[in-house]
Amino acid sequence: MADGTAEPSVSRLPAEADRVSTTRTLGDRIEALPNALRVGVMLFFWLAVWYGVVELFGVSKDFLPNPIDVISRIVRLAWEPVGAGPLLTHAWASIVRLLWGFGAAIVIGVPLGLAMAYFRPLQWIVAPLFELFRYIPPIAWAPFAMFWFGAGSSAQAYVIFTSSFAPILINSFRGVQLVDSRLIDAARTLGAKSWTILFEVALPAALPHVVTGLRIGLATGWMALIAAEIVAGTGSRDGLGYLILQGQQQLHADLTIGAMVLIGILGSLIDLAIRAVEGRFAYWRS
Amino acid sequence: MPNNLSYENVTMRFEGRSGAVQALDRFDFQVKSSEFLVIVGPSGCGKSTLLHLTAGLYKPPTGRILLGGEEVREPGPDKAIVFQNFSLFPWKTVHDNIDFGLRINGVPAADREDQIKRVIRLIGLDGFENHYPRQLSGGMQQRVAIARSFVLKPRTLLMDEPFAALDAQNRQIMQEELVRIWQTQRPTVMFITHSVEEAVFLADRVIVMTRRPGRVKEVIDIANITGDHHWRADPFDEVIRRADFQDVRSRIWGLVKSEISVRN
Amino acid sequence: MNGSARSNALARALFGALSVGSLLFTWWLVTSLELVKPLILPPPSDVWVGFLDIWHGYLNVPFWNHFLASISVMLGGYAMAIAIGVPLGIFMAWNRAVDWVVGPLLQILRPIPPPAWIPLAILWFGIGYAGKIFIVFIAAAVPCILNSYLAIKQTPPELLSSARSLGAKPHTLLFEVAIPSGLPTIMTGLRIALGIAWASIVAAELVVSLAGFGFLIMNGYRNLESNIVFVGMAAVALLGLLMNLVFHRIERAMLPWREDQDNG
Repeated sequence: MADGTAEPSVSRLPAEADRVSTTRTLGDRIEALPNALRVGVMLFFWLAVWYGVVELFGVSKDFLPNPIDVISRIVRLAWEPVGAGPLLTHAWASIVRLLWGFGAAIVIGVPLGLAMAYFRPLQWIVAPLFELFRYIPPIAWAPFAMFWFGAGSSAQAYVIFTSSFAPILINSFRGVQLVDSRLIDAARTLGAKSWTILFEVALPAALPHVVTGLRIGLATGWMALIAAEIVAGTGSRDGLGYLILQGQQQLHADLTIGAMVLIGILGSLIDLAIRAVEGRFAYWRS
Repeated sequence: MPNNLSYENVTMRFEGRSGAVQALDRFDFQVKSSEFLVIVGPSGCGKSTLLHLTAGLYKPPTGRILLGGEEVREPGPDKAIVFQNFSLFPWKTVHDNIDFGLRINGVPAADREDQIKRVIRLIGLDGFENHYPRQLSGGMQQRVAIARSFVLKPRTLLMDEPFAALDAQNRQIMQEELVRIWQTQRPTVMFITHSVEEAVFLADRVIVMTRRPGRVKEVIDIANITGDHHWRADPFDEVIRRADFQDVRSRIWGLVKSEISVRN
Repeated sequence: MNGSARSNALARALFGALSVGSLLFTWWLVTSLELVKPLILPPPSDVWVGFLDIWHGYLNVPFWNHFLASISVMLGGYAMAIAIGVPLGIFMAWNRAVDWVVGPLLQILRPIPPPAWIPLAILWFGIGYAGKIFIVFIAAAVPCILNSYLAIKQTPPELLSSARSLGAKPHTLLFEVAIPSGLPTIMTGLRIALGIAWASIVAAELVVSLAGFGFLIMNGYRNLESNIVFVGMAAVALLGLLMNLVFHRIERAMLPWREDQDNG
């Protein structure tokens, strides 16, 4: 503008509404910084706080190691074996279990959910059973899973299955149920037969919900995986949960925390990947 | 206390997703005290921005807005605003919605009940005091929104397409109701609408705005055309059939249309 | 219309009874014909014995000790998560500086699944109450913080603008507009947290404990008493259901202004 005053940006944030003015405060300047820079600086700050607390109070390494210890432990894990092998062995074991349990949940959950929405009697049959089992936390299945499959990967995969199954089933079911009935009416008036309606209207419209169900199922499955590896892992010597447990049992807090960090990172990567997939399937939604 | 509004070279820009957007460009205008002013213009011409600025919700980077000679600096109960979507607090009853403004402005409890009772009677919602907004029809909700502002005795009432969400029948009723309610206090009204009939029926003067950046394209002095017996004094469905009403309506519509079609 | 709705409900009940009934019948059939070993699936009679066993003090620990052990830890951690998580989430949403400082820390901690904290909690707090309360707290705090944050951020801007133009100052905006408006979202967070907290205490008790339902389940597993495991699971499910029902009641009572509360 001619007189050189800065332009205000009208913020939609609640508390910020009052701040719209022609002068820029320090906060406005920080806000204008790139997000990554702000987050990076703050993460560095928190790591420094962690380091400072450990060093200043002389916290025992068995209790809480400093971040450098943890990072070096993670790096060493790349080649130094714990239990069955180094890091990749454990990460791979966890992912394979996750994929078995998650895969089984997809294979059963998606078709069942879709069919339940399409054939009402099936819904009436399955829904009460589903309600019956719904309040059992997935990890509580671990003992029976071990009775059934032995204390190993299969039992862990079963726990993951029970965890992923519910969100996958529910979202597939809702996906078809929430299809705008006007779309189906429109297709019918255009002369579509029921198979055409199923494959060209109902399923495409339901697909974004199905994929959302898969994302939630993968997230809950990931959580169940770690729980299963800690609870139902007596028979196996691999997996990221096993690393956490080993750290605790051998009083190596750096291993426990390092494994937790790795689990967090891997979990975030998996979530990012499936969100990208989800975005592709929902491209036509606003 | 004079309640006239003066706009002196008001400019407004937003940082949009695709760069800066100029919403208003050197808007210069005088609204008389107790005048009913209606603004029409194409979508996105900055009408709403103008209202938000008048309410003091934002500050214009350049130019000034004065209410009764005093610069508008912050929002307050003397500058009431009514939105299209009613914006009632859904968790408060009709009574508590109206009470909100009185309470936070420190009106003593005894006076409040009295004023609430009176304004609820004014809008014809006796018996609905303890209803939640969701239990009311759109028209009733908008009455409550008007009452919530009106009970604070605002110097100016700013209405941002208040009846756009109502169906045609309710809209007509609300237009007549608004005139009746407004007459009891006669605050200065700034009223935005997309309906040219509504504008011609309600307004003392109509401003037609240009497309963005919004400027005054033309001002039509309705009160001057109708004389002392304003159109709004009669029922809407009678007025709308009159030839002189239709003349003004089509003239204004022509002005608005030219702003829309230039765009396409 | 009404008739077909009623016959639908009837069919639903019939099919439901049929499916649950045939599940129970199959259970009875395969176990009494000894098609599966009791370890794989305990027969109904064994489960009844297991229930009586627990009720009268399995391994000389009274039933109510297990109940109290699980419930006290659960409610303690849950209450802490609400008391810290909700204000923190609200504060982060309301004040950008708090958001900048605390936000990245939460983003780092959030992807770590709650069960992953169990070994660390044992390392830090031992196997007693403190460690388990810590786990429940960690698990339940995340949805409390996130939903409170979202609740405030999603306050409809028109409600804030309306309140400001009615004369509301910042603290009124927070306490009388943003928080009540976001309360449904906050309550949803608390409900999610309730489920996660319950699952977490069971998981923690499975790993290490001297009492509680998780202890019962794990002990049943170690002694190859599948009927004890069965009863433990059923008790966990039943209590989970009961807590959910109680929560639903509280939620409805707190949000009387809402239309339909979803049963998700």
